[in-house]
Amino acid sequence: MKKKLVSILLVSVLAVSTLAGCGNKEEQKTQSGTDQSGSGIKEFTAFFATPGSEINDDNEIQQIIAEKTGVKVKETWLTGQTDSEAVGTLIASGEYPDFIEGGSGTLQLYEAGALVALDDYLDKYPNIKALFTEQQWDQLRQDDGKIYWIPQFSCIKNEESVCTHNDEAFWIQTRVLEWAGYPEVKTMDQYFDLIESYNEANPTMEDGTANIPYTILCEDWRYFCLENAPQFLDGYPNDGSVIVDPASLKIIDYNTTPTAKRYFQKLNEEYTKGIVDPESFTQTYDEYIAKLSTGRVLGMIDQWWDFAYTAGDALKQQGLDAQGCNYVPLPITIEEGIQNQWHNSGGVLNVSSGLAITESCDDVEAALQFVDDLLSQEIHNLRFWGVEGVDYEVLDSGEFYRTPEQRTTAADSAYKASHMCSYSYFPQYSGISDDGINANKTDGQPNEFYEGLPKDVQACFEAYGAQTYVDMIGTTEAPGAWYPMWSYSNTLTTSTPGGTAWNKMGEIKHEYLPKVVMASDFEAGWKEYMDAYESCNPQDFLDEMQAELDRRMEEAAKYN
Amino acid sequence: MSIKNKNKSKGNMTDPKVRISWKEIKQQKVLLIWSAVIVVYGVIFYYLPLAGWIMAFQNYKPKDGLWHSEFIGLAKFQQLFSDISFLKTIRNTLAMGVINLIATFIMAIVFAILLNEIKSKGEKKVVQTISYLPHFLSWIIVTGILHDALSGSGIVNEILRKLNLVDQSINFFAHPGYFWPIVAFANVWKETGWNAIIYLAAITSIDPSLYEAASIDGAGRWAKIKYVTLPGIRPTIMILLLMNVGNVLNAGFEIQYLLGNGLVQSVSQTIDIYVLKWGISQSDYSIGTAAGIFKSLVSIVLIVIANQIAKRNGEERLF
Repeated sequence: MKKKLVSILLVSVLAVSTLAGCGNKEEQKTQSGTDQSGSGIKEFTAFFATPGSEINDDNEIQQIIAEKTGVKVKETWLTGQTDSEAVGTLIASGEYPDFIEGGSGTLQLYEAGALVALDDYLDKYPNIKALFTEQQWDQLRQDDGKIYWIPQFSCIKNEESVCTHNDEAFWIQTRVLEWAGYPEVKTMDQYFDLIESYNEANPTMEDGTANIPYTILCEDWRYFCLENAPQFLDGYPNDGSVIVDPASLKIIDYNTTPTAKRYFQKLNEEYTKGIVDPESFTQTYDEYIAKLSTGRVLGMIDQWWDFAYTAGDALKQQGLDAQGCNYVPLPITIEEGIQNQWHNSGGVLNVSSGLAITESCDDVEAALQFVDDLLSQEIHNLRFWGVEGVDYEVLDSGEFYRTPEQRTTAADSAYKASHMCSYSYFPQYSGISDDGINANKTDGQPNEFYEGLPKDVQACFEAYGAQTYVDMIGTTEAPGAWYPMWSYSNTLTTSTPGGTAWNKMGEIKHEYLPKVVMASDFEAGWKEYMDAYESCNPQDFLDEMQAELDRRMEEAAKYN
Repeated sequence: MSIKNKNKSKGNMTDPKVRISWKEIKQQKVLLIWSAVIVVYGVIFYYLPLAGWIMAFQNYKPKDGLWHSEFIGLAKFQQLFSDISFLKTIRNTLAMGVINLIATFIMAIVFAILLNEIKSKGEKKVVQTISYLPHFLSWIIVTGILHDALSGSGIVNEILRKLNLVDQSINFFAHPGYFWPIVAFANVWKETGWNAIIYLAAITSIDPSLYEAASIDGAGRWAKIKYVTLPGIRPTIMILLLMNVGNVLNAGFEIQYLLGNGLVQSVSQTIDIYVLKWGISQSDYSIGTAAGIFKSLVSIVLIVIANQIAKRNGEERLF
């Protein structure tokens, strides 16, 4: 009997303690939901399905913004997954953060009913409303006629002011150009000839480390560094998944063009010669960035945002700009005389994803008010310039500038985590700010931008008579109203034949493109690849792309 | 609660003809309540989630939920088995599962026996402790080490070059032929020490007098291993083998996911990766569930077959 009593007692203690445990958790949750510092600051959560670096919890500018707007957002980023995997997992769990940017999983979020329609709210928030024209807002409507997300990056305030080429290009280290006396490099053959002859003359860096003449990143979704160059080489813009012929408005498949074959044949030759890094196809993104950060890699294809912020800062901190290890873009096409479209002016409205608010958010109005506040010039300057007198100085004319020390600290990752808070995946402006003098972001301020460049890049720009990266590669007008087609192909899922074909094509290309480059017999390898490629029914995909192209042109015609 | 009760219940179990009386139920009230708790736990956490299997027979949309999604019968299974890449994942999973099973299984037994032969207690403990440490590393770390060690400038290539076995670095991850052995090696390295613990325990429970008797009969070390140690741990070996056969299809997810790349994807993708890729990434939860059901069913079949074989040969078995 005694034993029984004891066991009953034990069980009840256990039960009570578990219950108590739950209770505590509940309490904590509500606490973090409303008030933390005691000053009535509301805290939201956000998940961005893209890799990013988390900032410290006691970040200074985040705190300033919190005091001004009454809201603080805890941001989390993608780690070790693809965006659609992360989003798929969220949908399966049914629990969402307050804000979300779903990347290529955005449409899935909408289809799962996870997002809040913004139509009824937008008119109340003038700054948000002003981001887009009516036509653009209409482009964002889903098949139920409602708007669910706000693209963050396509808005230009006043006139455009772009100094960086934030996109894809053939990049080359300035030391290669300097050694050759800053020649004009216009075709793919010239580019590889230059790299070859440089590497022959200078096989190592100053400290004796061997150069890696050309590397290709092709891990997972980042394999664009390998696969989509044929569209640019033929002088088309970055539609990403197909070429659009602007005259006939027909879809062209860039995987099977003669240029594609020439491009991969060139890579194959260079691979045989030992110019292409033999680890290209097995390296991870981290290994790739580590390689670039040592300054060993002479050239590669990549998107600026994919390497510049990580590898660029590392090169700076090691003082490798003295050796000319920074990268500049080159205007390369397959033949001379083709107008390249690596860079386009005008913002690209990516209608396929953006910042959205989820059904889990308990106060949609406060959330939107915060987004609205972030777009006010004062907060916008805090986000992208920092604190006046600390992160930047103001001239009598009202122009912002940074001292060399301020520039160095701004590139320091520890400082970025503890001080800077740009809420980088919330809506924002580029272009010129409301004062008419300064750019909305530091890299758009011509003087500031040029002063902040590494010395080797400055020397290189000077030699080519350029002021900015954009001058190096040239610019063209924004393509037609269909642009960019990738915003559609990104949303394709296996629920349609075209989407299934698109997925299979991706799988085949991931496997066969490296094989083609490494093949000892290129022609045989190419034929094998083409056979495998055809077996995915690419026509299904192209047909759906054509239908979308027609739809977009029809929509656009309504506004003319 | 007394010894009398226990004896009685034991008697009941061995003699099925005895009916359970109310009196007995009353007597065993506490035991019944306790087992009811376990049953409830099992139902909630093991059986209720199985209701989700219904997704495999629906065109499941998260918006409509389980109740309102369209019912489509076996269409998802048809789709699954007409997909050549799924068939490849079955092959890969089975192949890697079997290779891993054999490699880790044999290595663990060999290692346990070797360790047992060490007479110095201190050294034995040190070796054992070090050998099972890798078990506590996560796969992400192990794959990181592997990736580094096997890279062009990694230690393996360095050694091969220094020994003049190769003149150019071997790119281990670019050849589909190397992938399965690499995975098997990683598994062996990570799990051998850990798996050996249970065999070591089994070996210690062997009656020392058997060894003495063997010595008197003139058995050397090798004979003692062959005629005393191995037969002594045979039941343990059988049980573990049976349990592991059921696990063959769990050939892994992390290691293949982390080490795989485009060049080797035709041999690296397992069923679990397929589920992630087509089920989660493409939001086709139905096909993911279908693949999961297939995996579970095959596992059950495998374990039943293995158990039957064990039964027929008069070996130790699970059920």
